Amino acid sequence: MSASQSAVRSRAEAVKVSRTFDYLIIWTLFMVLIGGYHIHFMLTGGDWDFWSDWKDRRLWVTVVPIVSITFPAAVQAMAWSRYRLPFGATLCVLGLLLGEWINRYLNFWGWTYFPVNFVFPSNLVPGAILLDVVLMLSGSFTLTAVLGGMAWGLVFYPGNWPIIAPLHIPIEYNGMMFTLADLQGYHYVRTGTPEYIRMVEKGTLRTFGKDVAPVSAFFSAFVSILIYFLWHFFGNWFSQTRFVQST
Amino acid sequence: MAATTESVKADAAEAPLLNTRNLYAGLGLYLVFYVWVRWYEGVYGWSAGLDSFAPEFEIYWMNFLYIEIVLEILTASVLWGVIWKTRDRNVMSITPREELRRHFTHWIWLACYGWALYWGGSYFTEQDGTWHQTIVRDTDFTPSHIIEFYLSYPIYIITGVASFLYAKTRLPHYQQGLSLMYMVAVIGPFMILPNVGLNEWGHTFWFMEELFVAPLHYGFVFFGWSALGVLGVVNTECEAIGKLLKKDLV
Repeated sequence: MSASQSAVRSRAEAVKVSRTFDYLIIWTLFMVLIGGYHIHFMLTGGDWDFWSDWKDRRLWVTVVPIVSITFPAAVQAMAWSRYRLPFGATLCVLGLLLGEWINRYLNFWGWTYFPVNFVFPSNLVPGAILLDVVLMLSGSFTLTAVLGGMAWGLVFYPGNWPIIAPLHIPIEYNGMMFTLADLQGYHYVRTGTPEYIRMVEKGTLRTFGKDVAPVSAFFSAFVSILIYFLWHFFGNWFSQTRFVQST
Repeated sequence: MAATTESVKADAAEAPLLNTRNLYAGLGLYLVFYVWVRWYEGVYGWSAGLDSFAPEFEIYWMNFLYIEIVLEILTASVLWGVIWKTRDRNVMSITPREELRRHFTHWIWLACYGWALYWGGSYFTEQDGTWHQTIVRDTDFTPSHIIEFYLSYPIYIITGVASFLYAKTRLPHYQQGLSLMYMVAVIGPFMILPNVGLNEWGHTFWFMEELFVAPLHYGFVFFGWSALGVLGVVNTECEAIGKLLKKDLV
């Protein structure tokens, strides 16, 4: 192979080839991220995300942001450091949401017949946009971890409030008071997930008064910052192009 | 003028850099197959998949399992064998244009791997959630497992290894050794399949319910992280393709 030989016939062809690779890379990256991020998320926070009666003011708000900031931090580390692309977090979250919505519609509803307003996924888009915007404006991963990570945790509940609020209306049913979401779970029996498995608000956080969700969001924001740092370094490690010699 | 005409004729005669027909056929094959699989689940999951002691379970689900395992072993053996057998023994002598063409073919493999990984890691894995959380589990070989663990996972493994083998046997850039992140991106998701052993062991002897966030499932999570090895694969490819195109792009 001669170093003077060119792989393309003209600059125009080089540009076209480059664009075509871009599309192939975006497709592949997006699909692999959906697969990897979704399997991570469903097995670390999925139960709170599957069912509306798990979407409480305490553990849903605490767990989901903490476990979901992982892949966005890793992909931002690669996309911004190498290519100055400021949409790593949004790309991840849109992939996750696409995978979830397809599943909730075609399988949760289409195969096991749960209504979509019982199995809709959590909205992570506001936090992802904030993470990307902080990184783009500051160009600093430290600021993104601290400010973006905190915003990621804090904005989760407000970002989901318009969706979940109608299901958190208190109702009285057979002399007991609970939420509409609890009633959904009561009626749609899940044999493999009995009630004693459901991990929702038990009430000890009410020692702070009634502010369950803000306290949970604040704690979640704190841990999200730490997880962002950790997964930033994971992202750097996964971005390497090293070859090892076979033994 | 005559030379230009000859050059144009030669361009028209040569194979395209990206064979879009192969790309769409590959992606379409997975799509059509999995739409059929989903139809099968919809029909026979409820009618024959609820009781593993029923004769119809043996007919519609256990036979499906036996057939798919045989077909997967055959497909993997033939596909990987052909890619290895037809390897380029003078890979460092190819022209830059041929190298570029092979990178495109490699990306067809990678696009199919990403597509297969989506179906396995996202679609059929979360589908398993809704089946198990709502239907009693009375065997390790439930309808959702027969599709998820023993069909969709082997399919992405077969595709990923084929992609890795293609790069290793036909692309000069991959002759420096073994790409660490490529191995992570292929072997990590592969390890999800052996991890099924832990999952079934745990569910059989310890935990019959289906709490998705149970620590029993963390093996899947750990190996799912390795999908991020695709970041390194993208970077490696960008370096290789950049070398081929850089002087024509500046």
